[in-house]
Order: sequence, then structure tokens, then C-alpha cells
Amino acid sequence: MTKDSPIRALLTVLVTAVVCSFFVSGSVVLLRPIQLNNKLLERSGNVLALTGQLPAGGEIGDEALLDLFKSLDARVVDIDEAELGSEFDPYTFDGRKAAADPELSVAVPSAEDIASLGRRSSYKTIYLVWKDGQLDRIVLPIRGAGMWSMLYGYISLESDLNTIAGVMFYEHNETPGLGDQIAKPHWQAKWIGKKLYEDTDDVLFHVAEGPVAAGASGAEYQVDALTGATITANAVTALVQYWFGPHGYGPLLQRLRDQPPQKPAEAAGQES
Amino acid sequence: MSIQHPLTTPLIKENPLALRVLGVCPALAITNSLTSALIMSAALTVVLIISNTIVSLVRTLLPSSVRLIVQITVIASAVTVIDQFLKAFLPDAAARLSVYVALIVTNCMVLGRAEGCAMKEDVRTSILDAIGNGLGFSLILIVVAFQRELVGKGSLMGYQIFEPISQGGWFPENALVTLAPSAFFIIGVLVWAIRSWKAEQREEPDFKPIPLPRKEKR
Repeated sequence: MTKDSPIRALLTVLVTAVVCSFFVSGSVVLLRPIQLNNKLLERSGNVLALTGQLPAGGEIGDEALLDLFKSLDARVVDIDEAELGSEFDPYTFDGRKAAADPELSVAVPSAEDIASLGRRSSYKTIYLVWKDGQLDRIVLPIRGAGMWSMLYGYISLESDLNTIAGVMFYEHNETPGLGDQIAKPHWQAKWIGKKLYEDTDDVLFHVAEGPVAAGASGAEYQVDALTGATITANAVTALVQYWFGPHGYGPLLQRLRDQPPQKPAEAAGQES
Repeated sequence: MSIQHPLTTPLIKENPLALRVLGVCPALAITNSLTSALIMSAALTVVLIISNTIVSLVRTLLPSSVRLIVQITVIASAVTVIDQFLKAFLPDAAARLSVYVALIVTNCMVLGRAEGCAMKEDVRTSILDAIGNGLGFSLILIVVAFQRELVGKGSLMGYQIFEPISQGGWFPENALVTLAPSAFFIIGVLVWAIRSWKAEQREEPDFKPIPLPRKEKR
């Protein structure tokens, strides 16, 4: 058999494919648990940062972070039915997969679809923080189309379900130096204390067209503009107005305001 | 200077990026932060070493009709393994580099060294060549990233060196430098500087301008 015979070529390719696939699949399988743990750690850090439960310095070990995260009251809520619970396990439920699953998601009517979602999951993983048996904070996931790709983040609300306690965007692809300011702490800090609603269900909150003067009328519903990033700023306004509007968390929040939830006995036992 | 040492020659004299203009895509995409550039450099150097070693080991067995397929398969496997390791042990960096680690497969430089060196040379020379080319690529990436992060954000490896105006300091951040085209400008200046120093790198013009016809006096 000469070096350039077709059979030899075929054998060479086969051996290469088998050996290489062995190494590739080996590395994927062996490293998967570490990667999943990294994802969980990342999510824990993101959510806990908004619950106000992280120590002031921000230094906390991975173990302590996970323990703290698991002590949160996580729920998969049904936002179509405004139910504060569902059959799904919050630690395994994947909201992104659900958004693409016709069984678990709904199409957003085009008139409502200001955040360009197309479909959205009917179920969302949210986190409740209790204090003295009362709801203290609620952390809600948000997303919306930005300039280049989907923005993913969380917003936390105070117990009045109106005042913003914090915001963060953990995944985005906005222009470096311009739109990527949405992920910078100094801009996110400006959201704290702002309000979503006045008396009605209309979401008044928006990103302003310039700096917001402290005493100006409506200042409590606005945050400063993003210089040079109008499209990103409009996208952020749209996603907040969608998610807190009638097709998003609006009905659920209304129900929680009408019937303040009680801290579940089971969670109380865990905390003490 | 006549002896070509596989380790040192690719640093300046035959720099893969500056002379051969290979691997420009990652050089544009990830050099807006020094940390990303360092991790990219390390990842690419490791991929180069793995692919050059394996290709050099099997070079006498490879039928020439399928050698490119085998080379690309080896490179793609090495890149996938490195990508998985980064995602497991440096998740933040992997998230920042996103798709560009996987895109090392398409970096012509890796295939270029497999085909240009590892198919001809013994294993020792191939490994030295891989390290040399990796370092040559890293050198340019680090120089570009250093300038882009410092001028664009006033920081280095995430540490704020100059306090930017947007956070109450004095340093005017240059947004243009954080965008990909600025890497073209910086690499262009580097290539010009190296070619001014090393005259033998200058290329012959592809065509000469046609002299304008003289106006004939009637």
C-alpha cells in the first residue's frame, strides 16, 4: 500500500477523527461539573448583589456565596396567571430554554413587543427576601434587545414593589465605551431609589435624554442618559417598560400589592 | 544573522502578524483590554505548540492528499479543549473573549505553521517554532492592547491608572481607541516602524504607476 493510496488516506482520516473526538469529548465531559458550578456562582453573585445581603467589602468565599444564595427564597413564578409559584424547581429551571419552548412560552403581541422579544417564557425565576415575616425585596430577571444583542439583567424592588433597590446587566454586547456603560456600577448606582409607577399601572420610569437634575419634575422616574448610546438607552427604557407593564410582571406585582404575601413557614425554619 | 533560529526569528524578523499579516482578526477584536490580550496570547501559543507537536510527530505518516484535513482536525480539537479549560478555570476571561477563543481555529497562523514548519521539521524545531511564533504574535497583541486600554479607558489589566472624567477624574477617555478599527491604525504604525528598521521586510510594489504621457508640443 503506497503512502498516497486512497485506502491509506481514508484510514488516516478515520484514525484522526476517532482520536481527536476522544480528547474533545473527554475534556467536555470532565470539565462540565466545574463549568456548571461557575455558572451557578456567577448567578449567585449577580442576584445576591441586588438583595443587599453581601458583606460591605464584597469579599466572600465561593462556599459562603452558594450557601447565602441557597438561603434565598427562589420561586419559579407564572407571570401569565400572576401566580407566585409553579411546579418547577428554581435551581434547575432554565428560563432561556423555556422562552424558546412553545409549551412554556407565549408570543408577545407586536403592539406590546417594545423590547423586541418575539416570545417570552411564561415562567420566570425570581428571588424573594424576607425580613420580620414581611417581603423586603424582590429580584426579577429582565431582558430586551439592545443595539447588538440581547441584554440580560436583574432588577430588585423594595417592599413597596415600586422603588428600585438595584439593577444589573450581566450579559450584553453593547459598544465598548458607549453602550457598555449599562454594566458600569456608577451608572447602575443612579437607579437606586427611582420609582417605576406613580398612581396608575403606567410605567413612568425611563432613561432620560440628558442628565437628570435632582429637583426637576419627574426626576424620581428618570436616570441619566448614556452619552453617545441613544439606542442602548432606548432599549433599556423599552425593556423596563415592557417587563413592568401589563404583559410583564405588572399583574403579578399588582396582586402582591393587593394581597401582601406571607413568609412561608418552611423558609422561616431554614433561616433560624 | 544568516542562521535562522526557530525561537527568535519569529519575534521581529519574521513576525507572523507584522510581516505575514496573519491573525489580524483576534488582534482587532480582543486588544481593547490587556488581560484579554494576555489570555488570548497564552491560548494561541498553547494551541500552536500542541498542533505543531502532533503534526510534526505524524508528518511522515500523512498522505499528502489529506494532510490539510488532518491538520485542521488536530487544530480544532486543540482549540476546543483549550476553550473548555478556559471556561472551567477562568470563566470571567472566557466570557470576555467569548467566541474568539473558538475562532483560533480560523487563525491562519496556526495552520500556516503546521503546514510551513511542522510538516517539514523535526519535533524539537517545530516546538521551538511554535513558541517563537506564539511569542511574536503575543508581542504585537500586548503592545497594541497596552496602548488601547491605557488611552481608551485609562486602566491597565482592569486597574485604573488614570481617573477618567466620567468618574470624576481628569483623564479624557478616547472611545475611538476602544473600537476595533483603532487596532488597525496601531498595527499599521507598528508594521511601518518595523519595516523602516528592517529594510529587507519591505515589499516590492505590486505594480508601478504608469508614467503620465508627456504633452507633445505641436
